Amino acid sequence: MAAAGKKQKRVLWIFSVPMALLALSCVYPVYFAINNALKDNRGYILDRFGLVQNPSLDNFFQAWTRSNLDTYFINSVITTVGAVLLLLIVSSLAGFALAVLRFPMRKLIFIVILASLMIPVQVVLVPFYQTIVGLGLLNTRIGLIISYTAFFLPFSVYLMTSFYAGLPRELVEAARIDGAKLLQVWWYVMVPMGKPALITLGILNTLYCWNDVLISLLVLQDQRTLMVGIAALRGEYTTNVPLLSAGIVLAAAPIVILYIIFQRQIVTGIAVGAVKG
Amino acid sequence: MSQIELDGVRKSYGLNDVIHGVSLNIEQGEFVVFVGPSGCGKSTLLRMIAGLETISDGDLRIGGKRMNDEEPSDRGVAMVFQSYALYPHMSVRDNMSFGLRMTGRPKDEIKEKVDRAAGILQLEQLLDRKPGQLSGGQRQRVAIGRAIVRNPEVFLFDEPLSNLDAELRVQMRVEISKLHSTLGNTMIYVTHDQTEAMTLADRIVVLRLGVVEQVGSPLELYEDPDNAFVAGFIGSPRMNFLPAKASGAKSVELNGVTVDLPDLKADLSIGQVLQFGIRPEHLDEKDGVPLPVAVDVTERLGSTAFVHARLSTGDALVAECRGDAPNNGEAATLCFAAEKVRLFDEAGARIR
Repeated sequence: MAAAGKKQKRVLWIFSVPMALLALSCVYPVYFAINNALKDNRGYILDRFGLVQNPSLDNFFQAWTRSNLDTYFINSVITTVGAVLLLLIVSSLAGFALAVLRFPMRKLIFIVILASLMIPVQVVLVPFYQTIVGLGLLNTRIGLIISYTAFFLPFSVYLMTSFYAGLPRELVEAARIDGAKLLQVWWYVMVPMGKPALITLGILNTLYCWNDVLISLLVLQDQRTLMVGIAALRGEYTTNVPLLSAGIVLAAAPIVILYIIFQRQIVTGIAVGAVKG
Repeated sequence: MSQIELDGVRKSYGLNDVIHGVSLNIEQGEFVVFVGPSGCGKSTLLRMIAGLETISDGDLRIGGKRMNDEEPSDRGVAMVFQSYALYPHMSVRDNMSFGLRMTGRPKDEIKEKVDRAAGILQLEQLLDRKPGQLSGGQRQRVAIGRAIVRNPEVFLFDEPLSNLDAELRVQMRVEISKLHSTLGNTMIYVTHDQTEAMTLADRIVVLRLGVVEQVGSPLELYEDPDNAFVAGFIGSPRMNFLPAKASGAKSVELNGVTVDLPDLKADLSIGQVLQFGIRPEHLDEKDGVPLPVAVDVTERLGSTAFVHARLSTGDALVAECRGDAPNNGEAATLCFAAEKVRLFDEAGARIR
């Protein structure tokens, strides 16, 4: 018994050490950013890795006002919220159609959507840019919203189709017999039933849109989103690391807050998807 | 005029025919049960009536109106599913009122109808709960309640008791039967359980491989089956089928015993190969035609005993004995009355 306990303890240690190192590698950049954001430039140069001596929020104010992060922040919020809402509505409708309705070439359409998942963004950048210019959507927020929706839609449709295909068909049939029209079935049955998948998708797409640099750099050249703005804080020869750190903390904050608010739903969302209740 | 008329109704999936031209009339207020083994097409036929499956050929009329291409909600039917199909995110009240809300009925009317249905089904205490907080029986009652509030012309039940345990199934069976007498609506009920079919139905439709084998009242099917399939499917334990040969125009030879069948209208040709059908409960006579058997196993259930036995030819049979039953391994003689014998030809068609 005691020998077994000792062995178990040793195994625990063998796993614990690499896991702790891994956790440290995740936590350290967060510490580094927050710690340096609170230093001034002099403090950073004197001691890059040491704990902040005279913490100050100056970098945050400076990044927010003088580096225009406030404008970029608003751009990011509008484009992310717009794109995520559009993605959720379109993918839920498309998932409902592909999983539940019977119409010709349904499987082919699904395969085409799946195939478009395999194409990297970089491959289609030139035709994509020309399309945006041709449609007069360059330097417009709506252009960026549509672009995000287009790029992240295949995965979203795939996820919603798979989720809806796993729901009992009888629910839709019962609603049809009860007199619900197709859009009513979608709104009253499919949307509430798809809530776990929609929340997961909402979080994922928020992350993608919020953190994107490439597409936003192409479409919103004059105005910039937050991530592009932060990338621009890096100079060609020198970089004000405390200022950049403050920008990074400001940019990451909304996503972290979102995660904290929806933490429970995200976890239950995953569980509900895995075990049919 | 019948309320529901099926006229040569067919269903095909590509080249695969699953319903082969079913014609059937169902009267107003009738309780009709579709019964048959898995894959016989009973659920498909019900779903075609509901409008959940398209009809490949033939006509469906409800209340005299052709309904082939009508939406499910326009057919005046309500359906109760095997899986209950309750909306898990809605309360019991919202589940029951869903159909009325979709058709835009006034709130007062919806409340009144839901309350009345809840009263009939004793669901008043559960109206604010979610389906996940209910037991199987309660969920099924909610599903029935959802059907009742719409006041449909026809109720369709698709194996509604299959997910319930044995005791609850009996209880719900009685409730459905009571509901039919209270409401008086036409009900079509699909099951593979012949006990449910026998106890609930005014008329039973026996299906096999998409073909109607026989339609009739439970006792008609039990007493006077058209073929060996119906005879075997209706009645529990199932009818014994023993190989026999005709020994005269009105007599057969079974295991060396000659059985005279004076009630037979048809004349048999000597040597004709036959299936000799006798129900287990009819092998319990005090006198009649004696059939010597060797008992394999006797299952004693208290009021009755099932005797699994073998003829000298090795053919197995079951007898249901209400009084004294022979013990395991004993040689015994089972007696039956000649008028209880049902004869079938080699292909299974009934010889009357």
